[in-house]
Amino acid sequence: MTVVPELEFKEILEKENFRMPKRFIINDPSEYNGKFPVALKVSSERITHKTEEGAVVTDIKTEEGLLDTFEVMREKFPGETIYAEEMAKKGVEVIIGLIKDLTFGKLILLGVGGFYSELIRDVTFKRVPIDRYDAEDMIEELRFNRLFGGYRGMKVSKEVLIDVLLKISTFSNGREFSQIDFNPVFLYEDSYLIIDAKLVV
Amino acid sequence: MSIEDIFSVESVCLIGASREEGKVGNTILKNLKRSFKGEIILVHPVADEIEGIRCYKTVESIPSPVDLGVVSLPSEKTLEAVESLAIKGCKFCIPVAGGFGELGEKGKNMETRMKEISLKYGMRIIGPNTVGVIIPRTGLNTSLTTDEKSRFPTDGPIGFVSQSGALGLLTMDEFTDLGVGFSSFFSLGNEIDIDQTDVISTLGKDDKTRSIALYIEKITRIEEFLQECRKTAMKKGIVAIKGGQTESGSRATSLHTGSLLRTSFSLKGIFRQNGIIQARDEVELIDFASALASGKPVKGKRVAVVSSAGGVGVIATDALEVQGFNVNRVSDMLARRIKPEISAIGSPFNPIDMTAEATDSQYENVINELDRSGEFDSIIAFVLFQTFGVTEDIIGFLKEFNRSGATPLVVGVVGGEYTREVLRKLNGNGIPAFPSIPRSIAALSTLKERGDFLRRFEHDSGP
Repeated sequence: MTVVPELEFKEILEKENFRMPKRFIINDPSEYNGKFPVALKVSSERITHKTEEGAVVTDIKTEEGLLDTFEVMREKFPGETIYAEEMAKKGVEVIIGLIKDLTFGKLILLGVGGFYSELIRDVTFKRVPIDRYDAEDMIEELRFNRLFGGYRGMKVSKEVLIDVLLKISTFSNGREFSQIDFNPVFLYEDSYLIIDAKLVV
Repeated sequence: MSIEDIFSVESVCLIGASREEGKVGNTILKNLKRSFKGEIILVHPVADEIEGIRCYKTVESIPSPVDLGVVSLPSEKTLEAVESLAIKGCKFCIPVAGGFGELGEKGKNMETRMKEISLKYGMRIIGPNTVGVIIPRTGLNTSLTTDEKSRFPTDGPIGFVSQSGALGLLTMDEFTDLGVGFSSFFSLGNEIDIDQTDVISTLGKDDKTRSIALYIEKITRIEEFLQECRKTAMKKGIVAIKGGQTESGSRATSLHTGSLLRTSFSLKGIFRQNGIIQARDEVELIDFASALASGKPVKGKRVAVVSSAGGVGVIATDALEVQGFNVNRVSDMLARRIKPEISAIGSPFNPIDMTAEATDSQYENVINELDRSGEFDSIIAFVLFQTFGVTEDIIGFLKEFNRSGATPLVVGVVGGEYTREVLRKLNGNGIPAFPSIPRSIAALSTLKERGDFLRRFEHDSGP
């Protein structure tokens, strides 16, 4: 089982026209010309849980902060690729996953996402490929599906989620993987962004 | 050999019949004798007759053709008997004994040999390690329980396929007592030849089977199984309960998806994708199958609740709303139509409370008004037989309405001995009736789930 470095995987996704925040490979942080706030991330085949290992720092607001954070990271993860990613506006968070199960074959997962996803465990699995009806059904099957009617001023469209699910189902077709996490995916009123994506082959 | 022929077996040969009370070979013989409408033939090396039925010394010496062979011998003697039946030209064989693949290498080899015999002669095998098959319409019953301690199913609409023979028999005992009938029961055992997918396909084609109940421990041909279910589910409802859900082949992993698969996997999503309705226990399994066999698919959330006890209506309404149904108020026009039909102190809105003054004809008129209004996607009627004016005479109307009414109906009853007696009659008349508020509501949800599944095939050319 091999972890594909995040940056590499995100480039594959880019080619498939998935929407993600803008990324910049950072050799010299003073050359960063994206927007603030920004996140710095380590792209490595060894690290899968970046947060726990300090391989991601979010919400860096200034150029100075970027320089400092970069230095700390460079020291902690020598030789690894570090990249910057513009921070996205908060959306309704979901986790979407793909997994090859020994019994049931390739499955797609949809769950209530974010920090508490493994605590809430509100998820559903279907076999890929799925059709539009299945995608609607996945949303319907979640206990917290009212989330997709919007929550505390965060507007979200079910249609957007259905389209992402279908796109990920299509993406899985003919592709080798053991597991894929799209977590979190931010949903907005008329669009979405994949914030983190991990591929294990 | 077509498996549908199991429904028209005319002759059964039992090898291993016994005189001795309590022996498997004696129980099977008695079960066959009690109900089987065809010919029973026995093979025994020494006896001339057992239980008044003539015995042949060998299978070869039987002069007439045999459709089904049942082998009730220890595993080490089974193989030879199976082969003799195959040579004889039997269409089917049920080797009852355990002691095969489930015990290891030697048993597995015997199964391989048995499979070869099946292929060579075209004889289909159910088992080994099975409690057998029950087909009420022909009286075929090769099961291992006795009639003193349990009830065998009467002919009805549910096809029941179980990978646990015992659980299947216990469940049927309970539901036969409630008047639920079965088209067939298959205990599949080790499935060396006929497996779950084969039987689903067979039941799909059987006109007498109107719904299918599956108790699953292991799915062998997952791709074919799901495809067959999806195909069959277009024609009739399928309910399944799967033990050991979490056994999915998850592997050590560090991603969230794998971790969630390990902690929170449910087959529900995959089942729904393929037209299978999930049950959580044996009561749901048969309740749901019964609802699917006798009720109509529900195509929307609007439900009318009718009862003669305000409290029943209120509790049902709460539970229905939690389940995602809308117990919406009837229109003013409909309220005006219902009002004169019910007691002056009743409520014509929804839930419709006819009060303890309710009568058979009030139920009839109210249900008809609801149906005609087109304001509801389903009606759940709690027909409470403790109510003075409610009698068994209502069964005729309920039966007719369930057949010809436009709105799907579920009937709920609440009560003890007398009510159970009526429940048997309701079930016997093909009315989807259930013995409690939650069970009635769960049955309605099942019909809704069925409606949801069928909806996806209704209009391929959307707006």
